[in-house]
Amino acid sequence: MFGRGGLTEILRGGEGAHQTALDDVTFTVEPGDSLGIIGRNGSGKSTLLKVLAGVTLPSSGHVTVHGRVASLLELGAGFHPMLTGRENVYLNAGLLGVRHAQVEELFDRIVEFSGIGDFIEQPVDTYSSGMYVRIGFAVAAHCNPDIFLVDEVLSVGDEEFQGKCRQKIRELREQGKTIVFVSHDLSTVSALCDRVVLLEKGRMISRGSPKKTIDFYLRRIGRENGIHTMQEGRLESVFSHGRLSMYRDTDEVSGFSGFQAQVNCLGRWHNASEAQWEILERAENRCVARGTMMRLPLQYIWDMRLENGHLVWRVSLECERETAVEATEINLFLPEGYDRWHYGALAGRFPEILSSDITWMTVAPPSLECREVAALPRAGAALPPILATMATDNPQATLVWQNTDHVAGCRVLQVYAKAPEGQKTIAAGRHDLATLDVDFESGLDHIEARLKEAERRRTLRRGGLEARFHEGHIEIRHDGRLLTAAIHGYTSMLIGNLWADSPNLRWGAVEQTASSLRVSGESRRFPFRQDWEIAIEEGRVRLDIWLEALEALEVQEYHTSVLVVSDYIEWETEHERGEFPEFTAGVEDWVHANRNYAPGAWIVARGASVPALTLRSALDDVPFRMTAINAGHHQQARVLQALRTSEGSPLRFEPGRYHYFSGAVEVADA
Amino acid sequence: MNCPGAGVTIRRMNAVVYTDRDQRRVSRVVRDLIRSRELFVDLVWKELRIRYRYAVMGFLWAILEPVAMMVILTFVFTMVFADKAAAFRGGDTRPFAVVLLCGLVPWQFFATGLSKGVQSLVDNQNLIKKVHFAREIVPLASVSTCLVNFTIGFMLLVLVHVVLGGSIGVGLVWFPVVFAIEFVMVIGLVLLLSCLNVRYRDVGYIVGVAIVFGFYATPIFYTLDLVRHLGEAHPVLVRLYMLNPMALLIGAFRQVLFENRFPDVSLLIWPGVAAAACLAIGVVSFRRSGPLLSDYL
Repeated sequence: MFGRGGLTEILRGGEGAHQTALDDVTFTVEPGDSLGIIGRNGSGKSTLLKVLAGVTLPSSGHVTVHGRVASLLELGAGFHPMLTGRENVYLNAGLLGVRHAQVEELFDRIVEFSGIGDFIEQPVDTYSSGMYVRIGFAVAAHCNPDIFLVDEVLSVGDEEFQGKCRQKIRELREQGKTIVFVSHDLSTVSALCDRVVLLEKGRMISRGSPKKTIDFYLRRIGRENGIHTMQEGRLESVFSHGRLSMYRDTDEVSGFSGFQAQVNCLGRWHNASEAQWEILERAENRCVARGTMMRLPLQYIWDMRLENGHLVWRVSLECERETAVEATEINLFLPEGYDRWHYGALAGRFPEILSSDITWMTVAPPSLECREVAALPRAGAALPPILATMATDNPQATLVWQNTDHVAGCRVLQVYAKAPEGQKTIAAGRHDLATLDVDFESGLDHIEARLKEAERRRTLRRGGLEARFHEGHIEIRHDGRLLTAAIHGYTSMLIGNLWADSPNLRWGAVEQTASSLRVSGESRRFPFRQDWEIAIEEGRVRLDIWLEALEALEVQEYHTSVLVVSDYIEWETEHERGEFPEFTAGVEDWVHANRNYAPGAWIVARGASVPALTLRSALDDVPFRMTAINAGHHQQARVLQALRTSEGSPLRFEPGRYHYFSGAVEVADA
Repeated sequence: MNCPGAGVTIRRMNAVVYTDRDQRRVSRVVRDLIRSRELFVDLVWKELRIRYRYAVMGFLWAILEPVAMMVILTFVFTMVFADKAAAFRGGDTRPFAVVLLCGLVPWQFFATGLSKGVQSLVDNQNLIKKVHFAREIVPLASVSTCLVNFTIGFMLLVLVHVVLGGSIGVGLVWFPVVFAIEFVMVIGLVLLLSCLNVRYRDVGYIVGVAIVFGFYATPIFYTLDLVRHLGEAHPVLVRLYMLNPMALLIGAFRQVLFENRFPDVSLLIWPGVAAAACLAIGVVSFRRSGPLLSDYL
C-alpha cells in the first residue's frame, strides 16, 4: 500500500514477512584455514558472510571473530561514487581500520595490483563493475587483514584478474590468514579451500573436504532439478535432462559431460540434452524418460536401470513420421583416469590427451563386429574397470573408443550408427538404437576372462595348430608359437591404384562351428564384400575366400598373402628356390625375391627353428603368381604371396560372387 | 597454536563477539564511538568533499546561502511589508537583517543537519554494507559536517552585526552553550529518524515537510515577543507554539547576541529537557535497530 511494509503493517505492529536466512549453522575456522561456502542462490551464503563481517546480526546465536576483518561483500560496498578512486582507497582502507599514514605506504602497491592506472584519479561512478572489484580487492588484500571474507563479487573481474586474485588469496593463506570464500565457481572453491560448507535453505547440510562436499552438492542439485536419481548397491546414477551421470561410492565414474546421446538430422547434430524431458517411470533403481526434441519430429526414450552393479541403458528413437536421420551417437564420457582400452579382442593404451589435441581422435579401429569393449583405470585412480556390451538390431551400430579434445579431456565410448548409403530417412515408429550394458562391478579379472572368451570364439585349434581370425587377418600358431608376423595372413585388392587391405574392411560377427569360422567384411570404399571361411584340418588351415562384387568392379591385381616371422630363411616354388635376403635398415619397401613369374600352385618357406610353411592354391582355373617377398626392415617379416595380375587391361568383375582364393596354409611338423 | 606458514606469529587479537544482545547494549555506545573516531573524521572529510565536489564556488556556498536568504527576507519584510513590519516591531530598533540572520543561521543548521542526517544512512549504505563499525558515526558525521556551515554562518552573523553598528562582548561565549543544546537535539532526532528512515523511507519526506512547517513556526523573520503578545488572544495556540524548542532557542540566541548576556533560563529549560530526551531516545532506538540496518538497505 505504501511501499515497503505498508502503513497498515506498521499500525498493526507487524514486521512484514520474516524469513529465516540462516538456522543452526555452527563452525570454527582456525587461522590459516580457508573455508568455502557453497549453495544455491538464496541458500544464505551471503547472509552468513555478512554475519561474519558483522554487517548484520544474527537474531540468535553468536559469532566470535578474532582479529581484523577485511571483506569483499557486495559490489561497490565501501565506495562512494562521487569520490575519486584515490579518495575511495583511503576511505575503504579507513573502513577496514587502516590509517592514512599506512595507506600512503601501500597506495602504490594497491594501485599497481588493481591495474586501474590513471583511472585512480577519476570519480568511481565512471568505473565499470570490474574496476570496482579490482580496486576493492586490491585494498582489502593489502590491508593486512587477519580474516578475509570474499563473496561472489570476484567473478565480475576478467580472467586475468581473477587469476591474480586467486594467487593473492593463496599468498594470504600461506601467511596464515583466515579466508572465507563464497562462490558459485566450484572449481575455484575446490582449488582455494581446505574445507567447504554447503548451505541449503539457511542450514548447513554438509561440510568436509572440497571434493566430497562439492560432489554431494552436485548430486543434490541433480536430484532435484534433474528429475531422477537411481541407486543400487554402490552405484548411483543421476538422470538429468538428457544426461546421465554415474557415481560409485560417491566417486564420479562418468566424465565431465556424463553419458549422452545425439542425432544428426540434415547435417546438424541435435543433443538429447536440448530435448524437453519428462519422466515416464521412476523407481529406486530404474528410470524411463522421454525427451521430445525441439523442432524435430523425434523423441528419445531412455530406459535406464541399475542392477547388480550394471547400468543397463536402452536408447530408442520414436519418430512421429518418416524422418531424415543421417547418424546417431551415444556417447559415454569417461574420465581421463582410464588409460587402457579393450575393443573386442584388441587392446591398447589410450594416447595421452595433449594440449595440441583440438579434435576428437578415434583410438581403436572401429568394427561392426565388436560388441564388447572395456576400459581399465590407471593405477591408483578411484575408478572401477568398466566392461560394456552392446546389444542392437541396428546393423550399422558400431562401438568406437575415442579421445576427446584437450579441453573436454575425456575418453569416450561411442555407439555410432550411420544411415546406410541411399537410405537417409528412418520410418515412423519406434527404433531401438542400442542397449548398453555397462558393468562397473566385475573387476579386472572378469573383464579379462570375458575378453579371453571372446578371443576363444574366433580361434580354431587342431593338434598343435591354431588359427585366429582378427579383424581381417589370420594369425597362425604352432605349438603355441606365433608363425605369422606384422599383418599376418590377409588379402588385398588394387582398385583404382588404391590397395584395399582386408584389415580395413568392416568385419561382421564371426560364426563359429566346430572346425571352421565364417565371417564377412565389407569395404567402406569400394562396392565389394569378402566372405571368408577358415577351417582347420590336420596340419593345415584351409582358406576359402569369395569376392562378392556389389557393382561392376575393375581390379588391377589382387593377392592373398601370409607374412611369416623372420626366422624363415629359405623359400621354394615349383619353378625356383632361394633365400630371403637380410633386412636393410631404412628400407621399408617390399623387395621381391623371385625371378620366375610363371603361375604356380604353391610356395613354401623354411627355417631352421620353425616348421615349414606352405601357401597353396587349390584354384586350378585362376593363375596365381606365387611370390616370395622380403617385407620392410621395420616389419621384420617374410611374405608368401599368391598374386593374381592383370595382363594390361584390369580384371573386371560383374556384380556377382567369385571365388577369390581357395587353398590352404600348411604347416609341416618339423 | 598450530599455524602454517613460516615466521607467522599469531598475536593476541581482540575478540569481537557479535550477538544479538551484545551489539545492542546501550552501555557500549561510548566505547564503540571512541573506537571509531578515526573513521568518523574520514567520514566528515568525505561528506565535505562530496558536498562541494562539483560546485565551482565550493565553500562560498556556505556564505552565499544565508546571505541570499537574508537579502530576500530583509527586502520582503522591510520594504514590501514595510508598514506592517514597522507596526509589528514597535519600538524594536535592532537592524532587521541582523535579527533575521540570528534566527536564520541556527535554523539552517537545524534544517540541513536534520534533513542530511536523516538521509545519511541511506546515502552511505555502501559503507554500512562493507564492514562492521559503530553505525552511529554515520549520522553523527553527517550532522557534524553541517557545523562547518554553521561556523561560517556564525562569523557572517557577527560580521553583519558589527557592520550594522552592533557591539560584541564577552557575553558572546554563551552562544556556543545555547548552540550545544540545539546540537544535542539535532543529534538525538537524527539518530531516531535516520534509522526509521531506513525502514520507512516516508520519514525523509515527513522531515522535509516538517522543516518547511518549522520555518514558519519558529521566530526567524519575526521575534518571539510578537508571538508572546498573541498570548492573551490565543492562549492555547501560543502554548503549543512554545513547545517548539527551536522557538525558544532562537529567542535565546538573540538575547545572547544583542544583549551580550546569559539568556533567560526559562528559554533554556524546555529545550534542554527536550534535547536530552531526544538524545536518550535516539541513542537507545539506534542501538536497537542499528545492527540490522544493512538488512533493509
